[in-house]
Amino acid sequence: MRWLKKIRVFVAVGFFLVITFILTNLGEKLIPTFFLNLLVALQVGPAVIKSLLSLSWFSVSLLIILLITLLFGRVYCSTLCPLGILQDVFIRLKRLNVKRNRFVYKKPLYTFHYFIFTLTVVLAVLGVPLFVILLEPFSGFSRIVANIINPILAVINNWVFNIFETFDLMFLYPIHIGYINVYIVVLVALFFILITFLALYRGRLYCNLLCPVGALLSLISRVSIFRISIDENNCIECGLCERVCKANCINSAAKEIDFSACIGCYNCIDLCPTNGVVLKRRRCIVKNLQNDVDRRRRQFLEESMKSFAGLILPIRSLSKKGGGEVSRRFPISPPGSGGIDRFSSICTACHLCVNSCPTQVLYPSFLDYGIGGILQPKMNYSISYCNYDCVRCGQVCPTGAILPLNPAEKKQVQIGRAVFIRENCIVVRMKTDCGACSEHCPTKAAHMVPYGNLYIPELNTDLCIGCGACEYACPAEPHKAMVVVSNVVHQKAKLPESNNIEPHSNELQDFPF
Amino acid sequence: MDRRTFFKKGFATAVTLSAFYSERTFALLGFGKEAGLTVDLVAVKGGEPDEMFRRGIKVYGGLGKFVKKGQKVVVKPNIGWDVTPERAANTNPKLVYEIVRHCIDAGAKEVHVFDHTCDNWERCYKNSGIEKAVKDAGGKMAPGNAESYYHEVTVSAGKNLKKAKEHELVLEADVFINVPVLKDHGGSRLTIAMKNLMGIVWDRGYWHRNDLHQCIADFATYRKPTLNIVDAYAVMKKNGPRGRSIDDIVIMKSLLISTDIVAIDTAAAKLFGYDPSDVNYIQIAAEQKVGRMDLENLHIERITI
Repeated sequence: MRWLKKIRVFVAVGFFLVITFILTNLGEKLIPTFFLNLLVALQVGPAVIKSLLSLSWFSVSLLIILLITLLFGRVYCSTLCPLGILQDVFIRLKRLNVKRNRFVYKKPLYTFHYFIFTLTVVLAVLGVPLFVILLEPFSGFSRIVANIINPILAVINNWVFNIFETFDLMFLYPIHIGYINVYIVVLVALFFILITFLALYRGRLYCNLLCPVGALLSLISRVSIFRISIDENNCIECGLCERVCKANCINSAAKEIDFSACIGCYNCIDLCPTNGVVLKRRRCIVKNLQNDVDRRRRQFLEESMKSFAGLILPIRSLSKKGGGEVSRRFPISPPGSGGIDRFSSICTACHLCVNSCPTQVLYPSFLDYGIGGILQPKMNYSISYCNYDCVRCGQVCPTGAILPLNPAEKKQVQIGRAVFIRENCIVVRMKTDCGACSEHCPTKAAHMVPYGNLYIPELNTDLCIGCGACEYACPAEPHKAMVVVSNVVHQKAKLPESNNIEPHSNELQDFPF
Repeated sequence: MDRRTFFKKGFATAVTLSAFYSERTFALLGFGKEAGLTVDLVAVKGGEPDEMFRRGIKVYGGLGKFVKKGQKVVVKPNIGWDVTPERAANTNPKLVYEIVRHCIDAGAKEVHVFDHTCDNWERCYKNSGIEKAVKDAGGKMAPGNAESYYHEVTVSAGKNLKKAKEHELVLEADVFINVPVLKDHGGSRLTIAMKNLMGIVWDRGYWHRNDLHQCIADFATYRKPTLNIVDAYAVMKKNGPRGRSIDDIVIMKSLLISTDIVAIDTAAAKLFGYDPSDVNYIQIAAEQKVGRMDLENLHIERITI
């Protein structure tokens, strides 16, 4: 059964390379969104959240993955989880140095792991996805690419561009790197260091200690049908399988494998000199589990499923709440997210939207949504503004935190409202014409009206969609005269009335000169 | 150096220099007169954008009078906004195609087209239809999105604008063709040829903070395009410069060509229905002797198709 490992490595390496490439600046431009959606649909974390919001093809792929887990255990963790494969890369690198890894069996800390999982779920149900953000593996990986790998690639690109530019070669374009927020980079770097450290220290410890997806699949794999076990007839008690087990779940002395901690790498099967480790149908009695544990497990499963289902209810009710109280204190959430409460209770801060936003107006926040919404993205109008015709973020969001909008819908979603601070305006202060805000305004919510012999901006906030074009363009220093304040719950903007000035005429008059 | 090499080198230098300055020297010395350069402004009406350009440029004796073999040309349309061609917020792609085509037919070594856009540049280039038009015509789209492309220049005659950062393509070009679209403009009332030059500089915020009209006129004292071509085929009459919908547009089927940037802006303002002296920067530029506002004293060719 050595081919099992070969297949696993092939799928894992292929998937890892493809998804990493798609998440980089370059891949994001070259590869159609469809592929990104397809690959992200295979990620359990986002798929669970999205399926609870509404049924979609994410639910189908989720079902398939859960079914595979039910059949063969947590093979997902070793093939489709990019964070898992990243850990495997470190483990592999370590092996270049230390000839053979020497893992030893450790009794998995199920209690702690399931406690963290429960806490993650309960908090998420209460609308605080803090632990989902911090621990969900896809978001964690995607964040590493967005905040560490991409800036490095951009710096390299710009560096190469500068060399080419001196020779007047213009096929490379400089990539604008948005402001770097130290807190965010440090947080993401800390996560990256933690992952590296745990992987080098004890293999896939993260997956069996902190990972919520690991916990969920571990619960399912307790009842898996085909499982890895030690064939007592063939085993020569060499202990090699235990030494290569990244998940530390093989007790070679007792000839037992703790299958719910097994991440399905099949290294043990590959290395066993005597075919003593095999994948076969489970026996009727599972040795290491008593019946009462079984019952508790079932209860726990039921409850966690119920709590997951509970996610839907508070989310739906939130989105129906009216209001729309505005204040500069709140961050502005992207169009399609419904409002900051709904958004903040679902978003796992994977930064896919940050990565693919063409104008780079989406920016990871630090604590703007509170500690429970750490790292979730917000609109940052000091860097850019939201393109009127663009609906990209909704297309890539894997969790449904930003729902896809069609361009017509989007043009009426009011995520915030502009406020005009007259005393800051160039026209008032310098007594000269300006109009940069009205120039950029796509709806003409900001328009120019006579002011002596000059023109001054005036706002019709019913038309404003809060895109931030006016705020971004306003040249007033040090304080802008146009500021967009958040709609805590997104509203619907009015459509501008259309009235033709004159019929489109082809009639020719004489030249007026 | 013996006498023979001295002569050889001297002759080579003279040839190079004269080739380099030929167009401007010829124009300055009045050699161009018999070739039709005496015309100050050409106004065309009633045709498609490309057709109007072909008819108009004939008056000058073809674009070959401005673009010589082996020269580097920059064509600067307005590509400021991420909207489709029928919204007329950007220069008509058909016109841009025709101009680039004429440059190449005249023997230009390379034709670059760019704008320092307001909306996201890649979307603007694509959705304006200009990227495709330029590529089809054999020109090159160049980016204008990074400060490193722009180099500091001195505007010696400037009153408020003393220095600006200008795109290197324009600095290196032998021929610079300015192709604005005539539009309503919230900040400067109208955007035409002089206002279009804001797309070849980096820091526009400075202009807005330091009297927009004065800065536009100041920059026109420094950068004088070889040729200005105003697209007034579809004209945005309100909600400019971005426009809100197709309702802002009136089809005027007009085109202006001139080497005088003030004259062309004056004529375009009249075409739009404004008194040119109400558009402050035109008035200031005329006072700073950038060009002439007195259309009645200019030689204007009028063509109706």
